[in-house]
Amino acid sequence: MGLDIHVNKLSVWYRGHQALRQVSLDVNAGEVLALIGPSGCGKSTFLRALNRLLDEDLGARRTGQVMMEGVDVLAPEHDITALRRRVGMVFQTPNPFPFSIFDNVAYGLRLQGTNDAAALRRTVEESLRQAALWDEVRGKLRRPALALSGGQQQRLCIARALAVGPEVLLMDEPTASLDPLSTARIEELIGNLRGRYTIVLVTHNLRQAARVSDRTAFFAHGSLVEIGPTRQIFTVPQDPRTEEYLTGRMES
Amino acid sequence: MVLHLVALVLTGVAAALFALIIVSLVRQGLPSLTWRFLVGSPNERAGDNGIAPELMNTAFLIGVTWLVTAPLGLLVAIFLREYGFRRRSAVVRPLNHLRATLLSAPTVVVALVVYRVAVGWWHWPVSLATGCLTLAVINWPFMVTVAEQALASVPQSYREASLGLGATRFATAVRVVIPAALSPLIEGWGLAVARLAGESAALVITAGVNVSRHFSLWGPGETLAVHIWYIRTEGVSVNRDAEAAATGVILLLLIAAVVWSSARVARMLSGGEPR
Amino acid sequence: MSMVRDRAPTRITAAATATFAVVGLGLIAALLLGAWPLIGEPRPLANLLGGLWDPLRGAYGLAPFFVGTVVVTATAMALTLPFSLAVAVVLSRPLPDGVRLGATRVLTVLTAVPSVIFGWWGLLAVVPWVRARFGGAGFSLLAAGLVLAIMVTPTLSLLFYQALRSVPRAFRDGSAALGATPDQTLVRMELPCALPLLIQAVLIAVARAVGETMAVQMVIGGQTVLPTGLTSPGATLTTQILTDMSIFPPGTRGHAVLDVMALVLMVGMYLLVRLAERWVAMP
Ligand SMILES: Nc1ncnc2c1ncn2[C@@H]1O[C@H](COP(=O)(O)OP(=O)(O)OP(=O)(O)O)[C@@H](O)[C@H]1O
Ligand SMILES: [Mg+2]
Repeated sequence: MGLDIHVNKLSVWYRGHQALRQVSLDVNAGEVLALIGPSGCGKSTFLRALNRLLDEDLGARRTGQVMMEGVDVLAPEHDITALRRRVGMVFQTPNPFPFSIFDNVAYGLRLQGTNDAAALRRTVEESLRQAALWDEVRGKLRRPALALSGGQQQRLCIARALAVGPEVLLMDEPTASLDPLSTARIEELIGNLRGRYTIVLVTHNLRQAARVSDRTAFFAHGSLVEIGPTRQIFTVPQDPRTEEYLTGRMES
Repeated sequence: MVLHLVALVLTGVAAALFALIIVSLVRQGLPSLTWRFLVGSPNERAGDNGIAPELMNTAFLIGVTWLVTAPLGLLVAIFLREYGFRRRSAVVRPLNHLRATLLSAPTVVVALVVYRVAVGWWHWPVSLATGCLTLAVINWPFMVTVAEQALASVPQSYREASLGLGATRFATAVRVVIPAALSPLIEGWGLAVARLAGESAALVITAGVNVSRHFSLWGPGETLAVHIWYIRTEGVSVNRDAEAAATGVILLLLIAAVVWSSARVARMLSGGEPR
Repeated sequence: MSMVRDRAPTRITAAATATFAVVGLGLIAALLLGAWPLIGEPRPLANLLGGLWDPLRGAYGLAPFFVGTVVVTATAMALTLPFSLAVAVVLSRPLPDGVRLGATRVLTVLTAVPSVIFGWWGLLAVVPWVRARFGGAGFSLLAAGLVLAIMVTPTLSLLFYQALRSVPRAFRDGSAALGATPDQTLVRMELPCALPLLIQAVLIAVARAVGETMAVQMVIGGQTVLPTGLTSPGATLTTQILTDMSIFPPGTRGHAVLDVMALVLMVGMYLLVRLAERWVAMP
């Protein structure tokens, strides 16, 4: 399942400083697309444009289109809330709310007005299972989420995003703050979610991109340099800048 | 968005109310704001008041109290913060309760006690000196709090670096911690001046509602704030409303200038990042 | 070596701290000492809790002042709460840095506005308004509550704002990314997250309201019988201390009762401090 996304000439400025330049690319339904590139090249900005979290930033201005099912979701009249339900997001540092595990996962559902206890329990369990956290927290759902380990917190945040039934998952360096073991579990999880969700994954870990993604896009200085099947990007990159970056010769 | 709209409206109402208060103060006071008013002495029957002695008394009370309590507050804070006591230790915790309780003590209660001790036991007159003593007791807990919070804002690693080089705790506090805490210290010290300038209830009791012709430590010492209260509640001058308002304008200007400039200096010292 | 060098400054700071403690405890002790003579009288407690205030005849019931303090404080808090919260909410939205800085600085200056100024405003506008609207003299518990509400609003707004600002940006982003509207984020995430600090802010404001003397004294009317309603004049513990200070010199029974009132206020403040500490680690 998942959802096709067509990004058309997306540009973003922060108070006059251009962070994205005319980026056009397609994300296919159900694939894992990795975004790589040097620090500050606009990867996070790209993700935040897709679910319009950029709108919360006073200094940000953007042009271009992001089409989902033939609708430009960046159009001012498009319903932001509906968009964000379809497009979930996982952040670089796990950010569970200081509530119980259950209340964290149920948060998005309750926003939509679901208050039926049985329905909430069902969805919470299902989401935690999908996020491969259920076995570790079953019977402890009333415990504070902040008592979990960093890796568990990140999977909780994934469960929280899954609970509202999104079609797209945006992940901004989800393993950047985790130890290798927790990282491996998240990567495994991404593998399991592939096909059911369209996943856009930002990562600085090139091996991670190689391990989990179907296609990879390389960004530099706010522009899309190259996009293609991951294997091809990593073995026979078309652009010299990509090759420089992959071989570690590019200065960020 | 409904809640946020309501919040915006309520904020607008509150802002308008405060603007109204300030504007009416200025409008009522403006006619009396003359040079004569600033340099003259109160003279109720002539209906031609001045506030020079009050200005003088206010400056004197604030100055002396500030000079006494700022170092005293800093010393207590250094003892509580810089000698390595744990926050919940048997020394720090009760002292913190005491400090916090004194900080919120009604000033009139402090005045009640100082009156008993200074006027009752020591036979001091109701005077500038007694007022200073009262303000010092009122302000000391505030100065301790300001200094404690300022010291607390300095990262522990600064101290470790200095102590690791063999500096004593006091030397570390004076050479490393206080310079690093200067910005919040100055901001807090500015607020202390404003608090002192605005104090009235305690001074009515201890410094009195009169001024003497010749400035004296042992003479009555009415301040600007007390003057406003006095002419507005008990005064008989014909244009007492305008005089009260004019005195209020002067007092407000004084306070705003101190708070604003200390905030500015603090911001400059902190490298300009918003706090 | 370092111990020796440090000895003199250590003694000085320790001595300053000891003096501080002595002054603080001495304050309480002086109040106890002043209140002591009342213990020797017949049934002091019943007398103190009574509703009749006539110290010259030996009746010193404090009920009118307790009622005054509680009613005025409650009125002021109820009135200021929505406004202060509103200001804090508006300030904690994404705003240009300059606007936010300017607004917080104006608020800081407003917290320092002397109480006599608010009392002055109360006499100019609030008392006449109450008189016109509800009849009577205008000097009333309601007028005092109104003036006090205006007076604590800057302080409470600033404290509320600091409480809301303590909620990390990552939480707001997380909530928004789940499709929460700003209202939903506020009610379901920010307010619950900031609750301990919000409660602490309210307690600090209550302490300030209970302790306020001048602004209240100017508009409350100073009547020492039990108030019959919000619009009837009254007195609070603090205003009565101020008013009667000049009437009863130290050593008289009336003054001893003032000491009792002051003690009650100090105990109240101590309880508020401990209560605030229970909610959050101390400021
Ligand atoms: N809120 C903001 N205000 C102003 N400038 C911003 C803001 N967010 C990002 N920028 C700037 O925009 C550019 C792109 O930032 P972005 O966070 O998208 O990069 P990134 O590729 O995610 O970097 P990293 O790999 O370090 O996370 C950077 O130069 C950054 O400094
Ligand atoms: Mg980034």
